[in-house]
Amino acid sequence: MALIELNEVSKLFGFGDATTLALDEANLSVEKGEFVAIMGPSGCGKTTLMNIIGLLDSPTHGEYLLAGKPAAGLKSNQQAKLRRDQIGFVFQFYNLIPTMNVLENTALPLAYRGMTPVRRMKRASDILERVGIREREYYMPKHLSGGQIQRAAIARALINSPSILIADEPTGNLDSHDTKVVMELLADIHRQGNTILMVTHNPELTRYASRVIYMKDGTIVEEEETDIGDIAQGALLTYLRRRKTTPIDVVAGVSALMKDVPDKALKSTPKKRKVKTRRKRLVRTRARKVKR
Amino acid sequence: MWTGHIKAAIASLRTSRWRSSLTMLGIVIGVSSVVTIVSLGEGLKQQVIGQIGRLGPDVITIRPGKLVSGPDGSSFNLLALLNTSTLSDDDVAALSKLGSLPTVLPVNFVTSTATSTEAELNNISVIGTGPQMPQMLGLSTNLGDFFDAKAANEKVAVIGPDVAGKLYGVLNPIGHSVSVAGQDFIVRGVLNPSSTGLLVAAQTDFNSAVLIPYQPSKEIVGGKTNLLQILIQAGPNASPDQAIKEAHEVLLKTHQGAEDFTILKQHQLLKLINGVINSATAFIGSIAAISLLVGGVGIMNIMLASVSERTREIGIRKAVGATNRQILMQFFSEGLVLSLIGGALGIGLALVINLLLRLYTSLEPVVNVPVIILAAGISVLVGIIFSTAPALKAARKHPIDALRA
Repeated sequence: MALIELNEVSKLFGFGDATTLALDEANLSVEKGEFVAIMGPSGCGKTTLMNIIGLLDSPTHGEYLLAGKPAAGLKSNQQAKLRRDQIGFVFQFYNLIPTMNVLENTALPLAYRGMTPVRRMKRASDILERVGIREREYYMPKHLSGGQIQRAAIARALINSPSILIADEPTGNLDSHDTKVVMELLADIHRQGNTILMVTHNPELTRYASRVIYMKDGTIVEEEETDIGDIAQGALLTYLRRRKTTPIDVVAGVSALMKDVPDKALKSTPKKRKVKTRRKRLVRTRARKVKR
Repeated sequence: MWTGHIKAAIASLRTSRWRSSLTMLGIVIGVSSVVTIVSLGEGLKQQVIGQIGRLGPDVITIRPGKLVSGPDGSSFNLLALLNTSTLSDDDVAALSKLGSLPTVLPVNFVTSTATSTEAELNNISVIGTGPQMPQMLGLSTNLGDFFDAKAANEKVAVIGPDVAGKLYGVLNPIGHSVSVAGQDFIVRGVLNPSSTGLLVAAQTDFNSAVLIPYQPSKEIVGGKTNLLQILIQAGPNASPDQAIKEAHEVLLKTHQGAEDFTILKQHQLLKLINGVINSATAFIGSIAAISLLVGGVGIMNIMLASVSERTREIGIRKAVGATNRQILMQFFSEGLVLSLIGGALGIGLALVINLLLRLYTSLEPVVNVPVIILAAGISVLVGIIFSTAPALKAARKHPIDALRA
């Protein structure tokens, strides 16, 4: 039985002439222990999909089964309890409460389980040790670097030992060093058997995923299974064929990086073609260019 | 569970101390006004009860106007207190002729100016009365004596200690003259300081009054009288009820059958005064309670602003598993804590005000446990009523909408 199963899930925003189709009959099945990376251009519905899976939003149509049980139609309080016990969130903009210190932020989900303050602070401290920022536990979020805040956010997401970790562009605001630290942390969590769904624009990060899902215009257009440590084929091709961002793209708010949808490219190539190293790939691309 | 909510609420309120303090201010002012007014009323009541207690047990009071009605005198007509006096000199004369009433003490009240060679006092209570007054009201003199029956037509005066201080300073006023409404009176005595008054809705403090014999008091206002009350006492051979009956008959005659007077025994008087003070306290207290209402609206206003400002926080809390009820309780607790702390500070402020009133005025407010419980109850009620709407607004926010804010 799949841990997450979406059957023809659609999400509409607005009404009348202003209706926007954010998700268009999306189908997805995620098994326990998978690390799924979701890629696609801005506005393709990645975050909406994550919000629906994370029970922050509900689908307009379709069925969502969480651990085999319908989850979309539940009452708000039941959904809140599922979020508390089974789902952990890591957001691009961290979403720590600025008036609480790192320890209090990390312990927050436990407060809603009715745990005593002493026990929850102890547990939060332990989990901060695991993510490597225990020495900063009494700092306010504003006194930490982006990477440290994101590690605190990951600690908060993990504190209830959730079965699913949803990370919506967790490295979107981080530099390369912090990105690596956070991704290694997520990889470590994945190795311990957690299911992770991560939205990213960075093809490099697909190395950590066991499956990559490509989205466009609210639909899942392609899926690719990858070996951990390898960049996903579709992500790589997209990366290599990327156009330079023009001022028009910037004005339109479109990510040039993900403008080329990988479906065609993937169809013309074997599904699990492995690229050994980045260096090899670059050499091959340059050779092609020279031929032309 | 509540402890956790309260602790979280205090922590949250501490992050915005200025705002929380200003929000509380409305409740602080409201609670302190209500407590001060109610304790002033309570103090006044106790003073009055004390005064009545000092009256001799067989002292009967005749008051102008029909103050009570009903078979047992249970219904009070408070407006009658505001009317001009219906008692006259004729009533005093007629009552004095009754054999069963050895003591008839008129209390004629005039507001006038008192002047000595040193100073002048405006709006002084001048009370024209008889020599039996000290005995009937439990008054005593510090210097000199009270005027006696022989001095009934003489221009002599007994002055309150405050008047003595203001008019003569450190001098002994005995033998000096005091000019009341242009007529000179020789000071014969100075009263001991006391909290006793005349139990009427006028300035009744004997400390700042000039007491003169009844006859001269009529003369200073051209022979007119303003009798606030006539105190009578039954003789040793007559029962109070018999005395009341006879006095009633006599007064009906002098008033040509019109019952525009009230004869009260001590307990009736007590009941009447209690009624008057309770009504006045309730009336002024309810006006003060309006400020509590305004304070409550202030709490609601600030809480609504806080909910809007903290929408993202609500979203985060919901994302990590807070239920609607838990969010509701969080904001509800914040409002409740604000009003409870405001209530406590209000009670504290009221105690300080009461202390200052006792120290620097002749008022003696009494703060008792029921008043404090009432104030605490009111502040809890205000907290509950005015926190509900903001808390509901916070709880009903959709998590994803709140996170996007």
